[in-house]
Amino acid sequence: MKFLAYLVSGISLGSIYAIIALGYTMVYGIAKMMNFAHGDVIMVGGYISFIAANYWGLPTVVSIVIAMLVCTMLGIVIEGLAYRPLRSAPSLAVLITAIGVSYFLQNSALLIWGANPKAYTPVVSGTLRLFQGQLSISYVSMVTVAACIIIMIALTLFTSRTRMGKAMRACSEDKGAAQLMGINVNFTISLTFAIGSALAAVAGVLLCSFSPTLMPTTGSMPGIKAFTAAVFGGIGSIPGAFLGGILLGVIESLARGYISTQLSNSIVFAVLIIILLVRPAGLLGKNVQEKV
Amino acid sequence: MSTILKVNSINVYYGNIHAIKDISFEVNEGEIVTLIGANGAGKSSALNTITGLLRSKTGSIEFNGENISHTPAYRIVSKGLALVPEGRRIFQQMTVKENLDMGAYTGKDGFEKKLEEVYTQFPRLKEREKQVAGTLSGGEQQMLAMGRALMSSPKLLMLDEPSMGLAPILVEQIFDIISALHKKGTTILLVEQNAQAALAVADRGYVLETGKIVTTGTGDELLNSPAIKKAYLGG
Repeated sequence: MKFLAYLVSGISLGSIYAIIALGYTMVYGIAKMMNFAHGDVIMVGGYISFIAANYWGLPTVVSIVIAMLVCTMLGIVIEGLAYRPLRSAPSLAVLITAIGVSYFLQNSALLIWGANPKAYTPVVSGTLRLFQGQLSISYVSMVTVAACIIIMIALTLFTSRTRMGKAMRACSEDKGAAQLMGINVNFTISLTFAIGSALAAVAGVLLCSFSPTLMPTTGSMPGIKAFTAAVFGGIGSIPGAFLGGILLGVIESLARGYISTQLSNSIVFAVLIIILLVRPAGLLGKNVQEKV
Repeated sequence: MSTILKVNSINVYYGNIHAIKDISFEVNEGEIVTLIGANGAGKSSALNTITGLLRSKTGSIEFNGENISHTPAYRIVSKGLALVPEGRRIFQQMTVKENLDMGAYTGKDGFEKKLEEVYTQFPRLKEREKQVAGTLSGGEQQMLAMGRALMSSPKLLMLDEPSMGLAPILVEQIFDIISALHKKGTTILLVEQNAQAALAVADRGYVLETGKIVTTGTGDELLNSPAIKKAYLGG
């Protein structure tokens, strides 16, 4: 029964990682860059929904929608101002810029909202008790897992069925050829950042509902872990991000339960290193062989 | 015959390298025009400049009477200009049909009809419709790249080294298709290293050397010119 409890909490924690990892992986797939500011967009999403719900007294759903809209705008602005001018710059320059944007967001949050943690009110409360109370599953966990599955399916359908989604895949393969088809590459990259950032807002709300302390650094660790999850599953792959996120959450939860809370992060990263040694492209990553 | 494409003294640089030196040429409606020349003569650069992937520092490019020298690359195809790029550059991880779908990205009208036409032209592609494009053979990939460009119903089809890396029998097949497209009224601008094959199908040709046009003439004139024979046709 204990195992089941750890597993359930691992899956729901992993679902949050998966939602964040989907944002990382989509941006990487199309813009070929690691957007290290992604974790901090999560934090912004958390704060915006907190303010909308607690200061303005708006209903939960409305506050989530506002957080998504603000983060979408933020994602588009970050891409347009910080990354677009570096489109043809070496990838290290883009990487350093992304780290810079990350610190910029954290310190802006520190300036605006202060260093004191805010006590976040979970979006749903209550717990489902099973087996005479031996196994309890919070409603937040269930909402998280459901949200993650819905997002995964929606993204898969979007990229495989819609014209815009296919254009995104075309851009991720060959931007020059995509332009020859009439695809506006800059618009497509903006759209990718918009989708990724809206997902980050959802992840922010769920993350803060899961562990209800909100600080300017709230997004950093989950951001890094989700990045790890995306690499673990195979960067650029949507099902890979999903699988990587869930596995990471489960490994972390089991390690915390059976081995040590303090060591759980080290164990997670050790497992990652071992898997990448065996499969360098990640679990579902494609080893693209180019035909000349 | 009206001029469909008019390239007016363009100069293209890659950093300090002057790749195209004051080139001018034109293509008339219904013609096959070829640009021939050795590696690095500037043939592909010329095509990439027309499509907006590269920019000229001077001069102008007119298509159907409209100056397109500053039009962004992604707006070119909707004007009726399609390029089959060097090395094919099909979307390897997408299916054959999705590639064709991308070819029709700017004009969704009559997709099924255009698809039917392309499949009639290239029956092989229909057989492989659901296959991932990266698994096709070199010749099939070239057909897909051509089919993808035709999906936009271009007024001018530009082909960059369609015979590159293909076995002789496939080269012949590709040139048969080019002739067939021409007979159906498609205007074609063909860039080739295989001068013999290109000149045999072309109405007119331009010979490029290190970024400059050195000779021009009809396909037959160039095929029979002693200088061209010596330089490009092996005696």
